[in-house]
Amino acid sequence: MPEIKVDNLTHTFGKGGPDALTVLDNIDLTFESGSFNSIIGTSGCGKSTLLKMMAGLFEPSDGEMTLDGNIIQGTDRRRGMVFQQDAVFPWMTVAKNISYGPRLRGVPKSEQAEIEAKWTEMVGLKGFENRWPRELSGGMRKRVDIGRVYANDPDVLLMDEPFGALDAQTKERMQSDLLETWGQSKKTVVFVTHDIEEAIFLSDKIVVLSSRPGRVHHIEEVNLPRPRTNDMRLTDEFLEIKRRLWAMLDH
Amino acid sequence: MNVMNVLTSRRLWLGVLSIAVCFAAYIWVTNRPDNNPALLPPISDIVASFFTNVESGNLHTALGASLFRIFMGFFIGTTAALVVGCLVGWYKTIEFLVDPLIEALRPIPPLAYIPIIIIWFGIEEFSRVLIISIACFMVCVVNVIAGMKNVPQVYVDAASTMGASRFQVFRTVAVPAATPFIITGYRIALGAAWTTLVASELLAAQNGLGFLLQEGRRYFLTDQVMMVIVIIGACAFLMDRAFRRIQAYLMQWSEARE
Repeated sequence: MPEIKVDNLTHTFGKGGPDALTVLDNIDLTFESGSFNSIIGTSGCGKSTLLKMMAGLFEPSDGEMTLDGNIIQGTDRRRGMVFQQDAVFPWMTVAKNISYGPRLRGVPKSEQAEIEAKWTEMVGLKGFENRWPRELSGGMRKRVDIGRVYANDPDVLLMDEPFGALDAQTKERMQSDLLETWGQSKKTVVFVTHDIEEAIFLSDKIVVLSSRPGRVHHIEEVNLPRPRTNDMRLTDEFLEIKRRLWAMLDH
Repeated sequence: MNVMNVLTSRRLWLGVLSIAVCFAAYIWVTNRPDNNPALLPPISDIVASFFTNVESGNLHTALGASLFRIFMGFFIGTTAALVVGCLVGWYKTIEFLVDPLIEALRPIPPLAYIPIIIIWFGIEEFSRVLIISIACFMVCVVNVIAGMKNVPQVYVDAASTMGASRFQVFRTVAVPAATPFIITGYRIALGAAWTTLVASELLAAQNGLGFLLQEGRRYFLTDQVMMVIVIIGACAFLMDRAFRRIQAYLMQWSEARE
């Protein structure tokens, strides 16, 4: 079962040089298999850096990360990632974007078609299979992004402020839909955001990073019942957590 | 859709207008009593020269020879540019190895190679195709490299995290992402092919459009010279149009398509 451990991780850009900058300092974290986790912090706290390291896009200068006890090194389809920027390939139709990962592995045509049909529907893009990404709105493109990562069937889903560029209403719908999709397969999710409400609504566990260098400041266990609904955003319990985290980020 | 139609028709009309104005000005100048038709032949002479050369078969031969050189030179030059450009733009080791060489050779006008090519290979078909190939390669390869270097990192990262190998990223992400640049390179190469074609034929050929120009100069046939200039313009224009069609098809995914 996928369980992510971050063990005594420190990262310094330009280590040993005159402009060395430590962005992450002595991070120890465990993300349980099948759980939804968020990392929050003000900008510049190194949360995106941490996530990219989990993806294997670059290596920490000290310490290590493991997935199921195996050291994370380099990228791997087991660790899928949704990026802050639009990463949908504009030269592929929606369907071809969705089946990109399986095609890399040489999955047979018939199975590709099944995957395309399943995941375009799951992310609410049925009927848009043959559209070019340029014909879609920002929110729909994000759905393609998420569907594409899910269709590749990773063990872990790393999400770097995926809804950061969306308007408030689209964002709330995307959050609910993401939880629904996640609820059906229970992949381990690590979700980076600076939006406190988003983190509370989605997560089982919220890691608060302090800034410069990023250190683990607080870990909040969110015990709100699932499935989560939008009206929970206004419950006392929800708001109490929000108040507490807000005070922490404001320091 | 309506806005698009209005825009396209406005573009068409204004384009036709500018050509018509030039045409009218030419007729006006050549009809003036002080015009020397030996230097500036009237349109009727140019048209007559066209039919003379069609009847004698000169034009067919010249056009055939020139088009063959263009296609061969363009094909060889751009294919080499595509292969070299992709490798240089994607693999750092190859870049460090080859890029200084390309940068050093780039400022040299392709026509500067003509003397040495003639010495080595003679005034053969191969020599002319080689010069055109070099010209096409040089202008095209720079664009291909630029395209490969401008592949957005997020696409590369996205493909990698989905399990793509370095070569798979190259094939499925870098090359398609670079197509806008690559196509631009091809189009510039087509222009370069025409420029070098005529120059190489002016210097060293027994046939071709450049040869017809040279012959016109030698026998003071200004109408023939003008006729060939128009033919070259028309051919280059038609080829560019055809190219735009291909471009529009290949770029239908792009926001910046024409």
